[in-house]
Amino acid sequence: MRVSPIPSFAHWLIAAAFLLVAALGGYGAESTDRMNEGPARSLLVGALEAKGPEQLKLLGELGDSGSKTAAEVLTAWSRGQVYLVQDSAGRTVPVLFEEQQDSAGKSRADSIADGTWIADAKGKEARFDPSDATSVDADMRLRSAIRQTLDMLALSNPDPDERRSAAVKLGASQRRQYIPALQARLAKEKDSHVRRALEESIAQIDLTSADPAVQQKAIARLAFLNAMGCIDNLNQLAAAPTTDKQVAQAAKAAAASINSHIQHVNLFGTIFRGVSLGSILLVVTLGLAITFGQMGVINMAHGEMIAVGAYTCYVVQNVFGTGFSFALTLPFSYGGHQVSFGASIPGINATGLFYESYFLFAIPLSFMTAFIAGLVVERLIIQFLYNRKLESLLATWGVSLVMQQLLRMVFGANNVQVNSPSWLLGHFTLDDVLFGYNRVFVIAFAILIVIGTWLLLTKTSVGLLIRAVTQNREMASCMGVRTTRVNMMTFAFGSGLAGLAGAFLSQIGNVGPSMGQSYIVDSFMVVVVGGVGSIVGTVCAALGIGTADQVLQQVLGSPVLGKIIVLGTIILFLQWKPGGLFTTRSRNLDS
Amino acid sequence: MLDQSKRTETAIVAFAAIIIVGVLPCLNAFTPTGSLLHISDFSINLYGKYLCYAVLAISVDLLWGYTGLLSLGQCLFFSLGGYALGMHLMLMIGKLGQYHSDLPDFMVFLGYPRLPAHWVPFRSFWFASAAVVLVPAALAFVFGFLAFRSRIKGVYFAILTQALTYAACLMFFRNDFTFGGNNGLTDFKFILGHDLRTAATQRDLYIATGILLFATYGLCRWLIATKFGKVQRAIRDRENRVLFSGYATASYKLFIFVVCAVIAGVAGALYVPQVGIINPSEMATDKSLEAVVWVAVGGRGTLVGPIIGAIFVNALKSWATRAYPDLWLIILGTLFIFVVLFLPGGIVSIPERVSEWKASRRKPV
Repeated sequence: MRVSPIPSFAHWLIAAAFLLVAALGGYGAESTDRMNEGPARSLLVGALEAKGPEQLKLLGELGDSGSKTAAEVLTAWSRGQVYLVQDSAGRTVPVLFEEQQDSAGKSRADSIADGTWIADAKGKEARFDPSDATSVDADMRLRSAIRQTLDMLALSNPDPDERRSAAVKLGASQRRQYIPALQARLAKEKDSHVRRALEESIAQIDLTSADPAVQQKAIARLAFLNAMGCIDNLNQLAAAPTTDKQVAQAAKAAAASINSHIQHVNLFGTIFRGVSLGSILLVVTLGLAITFGQMGVINMAHGEMIAVGAYTCYVVQNVFGTGFSFALTLPFSYGGHQVSFGASIPGINATGLFYESYFLFAIPLSFMTAFIAGLVVERLIIQFLYNRKLESLLATWGVSLVMQQLLRMVFGANNVQVNSPSWLLGHFTLDDVLFGYNRVFVIAFAILIVIGTWLLLTKTSVGLLIRAVTQNREMASCMGVRTTRVNMMTFAFGSGLAGLAGAFLSQIGNVGPSMGQSYIVDSFMVVVVGGVGSIVGTVCAALGIGTADQVLQQVLGSPVLGKIIVLGTIILFLQWKPGGLFTTRSRNLDS
Repeated sequence: MLDQSKRTETAIVAFAAIIIVGVLPCLNAFTPTGSLLHISDFSINLYGKYLCYAVLAISVDLLWGYTGLLSLGQCLFFSLGGYALGMHLMLMIGKLGQYHSDLPDFMVFLGYPRLPAHWVPFRSFWFASAAVVLVPAALAFVFGFLAFRSRIKGVYFAILTQALTYAACLMFFRNDFTFGGNNGLTDFKFILGHDLRTAATQRDLYIATGILLFATYGLCRWLIATKFGKVQRAIRDRENRVLFSGYATASYKLFIFVVCAVIAGVAGALYVPQVGIINPSEMATDKSLEAVVWVAVGGRGTLVGPIIGAIFVNALKSWATRAYPDLWLIILGTLFIFVVLFLPGGIVSIPERVSEWKASRRKPV
């Protein structure tokens, strides 16, 4: 039985609230800092002035304060950078000098007691020459005490990530003197991740104990916690000649159990990445499946519709920032002037939370842009080719070439930078498996899109028309359906979905003029495997191919070999089911 | 009327054959450099390349224009033929390579201890020549057997051939696939003891390519005139009817698919010594589509069309990539869209179109 440290929902809400507070300016955080620093400062002054055991005791108390100032001052102290100067009242007080010096080589002094500048007799800021001032000494014993206090301070840092890495660091040093501190912290700690790190560190240090019983207990603890970072320690312990036989055996068993946990984590991580890749593939393919399955037009320019969506994100991002402009010079001249044109959109210079929200505006816009692009292509070219499927494939390839080159001319041949909004960065972990927010977001959105498309096709009158035209264009036309309009809308909708896929891809992969090309062969495969015109088939095929691709990459250690095997399997699969996973039954010989 | 147009076509092709195989090489060999009639070595080399493409285009057309199978994998067979001969040429470099080793340079570079077993027989030119024919044929047979057996056709066939090519392309890009990775095979020195870097050898290769082109043309013309050719076109027009008439359409299609793979393979084998390099980018999915463009532009369903298309589009490419490098893809794409929409018969249909247009103008008067 394993106990997984699952973060509670309340914990999430708090974290979200913190993010909000931090984003809104961070004033709150700073002022609470000031208030808490008072006691720490007086402790510091006490420690600086005290001697012997009293000093060590005060340092110990400082270790629990979690104060930022204390960490700064103590670091300076161990380097001999805390000085004693006379203040306006003639008292000797400990200070830190600011790094900046004026032309005379003098600098202001920051009083440790209250964090203000030391004033001279006239009440102005006094300036001192650091080379004249006496520093507060620290001997070897004191320095090691200070270092210990600093480690403890890190353990009580308000940031849980800092606390965790401090615990891991202390554990990795395997020094017994840290155990009381770690245990003291463990008693107070609330954050489940930090608790786990603390427990791991304590057990890791206990491995060095001379008492086999303690060692056994530590090993059991590590195995229970699946301490992935301690596997080397366990192996060393198992291999060391001085180790008690039973302990060595237990260590070996624990290492094996942790190893299997690592494999399990890797597998689930891979599956998660596969599913997220599959859901991008799904969004890419859904549009293709609609235009191909429902209209018989295989759209080779679908990849460029993806790029259109991604570049829309790029433009929106720039408009939210400093603006976007481009200039294009053609290699022709007319009337002695080079033919050139350009456009420029002024930026709105948004900052903070508003700037971060650009992506929310970009998503519908990228759908719209690709929708319009699809509409134009359909009106200009595709509408003449509904009865010539192979030709439509070729003509759309021509469109794809033209669009690719246009994108290259407008945006440059290199990839452009689309920044993820901060709320899509980061990750959470479940049983040590890493879940990136951006990938979770993609999966969630893919589900929404699939449901939306399904509703559109089956529950609305537009969907009814689309299906009618698909099944029998002539008959639908006879019944008064305006087939040209339905065709137009279907193709544009398919392209719009590609644009949406492009918006997501901009958050995960590169954005460049030929970005669509790397997905197009895969998405053709998905359409073929899934079966024409079947949403269920498309979903199964996209997730299956995406996951198989990732898992094979992991297992074979080579992305290319995995892809080749997937392609080979698809060709063999079609021997078994030539029409794909889900075929629409029909009595027509040619369909 | 039909015989008349056939005779005209024969006359034109014979005339072109004399020019291409006879006159141009003579002008290259026997006129002084700088004279008005002189054809430079560079041009001969370039024309040789065009002719290889023309043979490839015929193979695409035999499938697409005559059988209704749009194969987006002809460049794979072309490259396989090229690689087969390239392997032989690689071994003929001998110790003249950069590392002065018996092994090809890339193998030394990648640390191979000895020649891989499947490379050894390629020391023999005849073995390599047999491979040029047999490797594409074998792959086409296996793939075609599987595809036609499960009645994959139309757009599906196009997509699957594209996937096959894509997979092969990825495979050849790998260094440990023993074919030189993304650099491919290059730096050839000798073919059958002749130095590849001399103008005379290049001219001979050009002539050989010209002969291959017209031999392929002749063969295909004979083939489509036979009963086999009639069935082939019937499959294109209405496959189910042919099937119900008792013809095993799958076998017909398989046969023509293998023949076309061989034609493409031989064209690739002649392409490699003239261009001096073969690498996996030759089998990128775009290249196969480009070959289809040549056929469409020239005129599919004819045998002259692909030849004209391949030469025209490639000449246009040579000019446009130099004059307007940025616009080349736009020109190609637009040309293609234009042909598909407004000139489905390609360039060869222009005279017919013009006379039709004239006739329609005369009528009302």
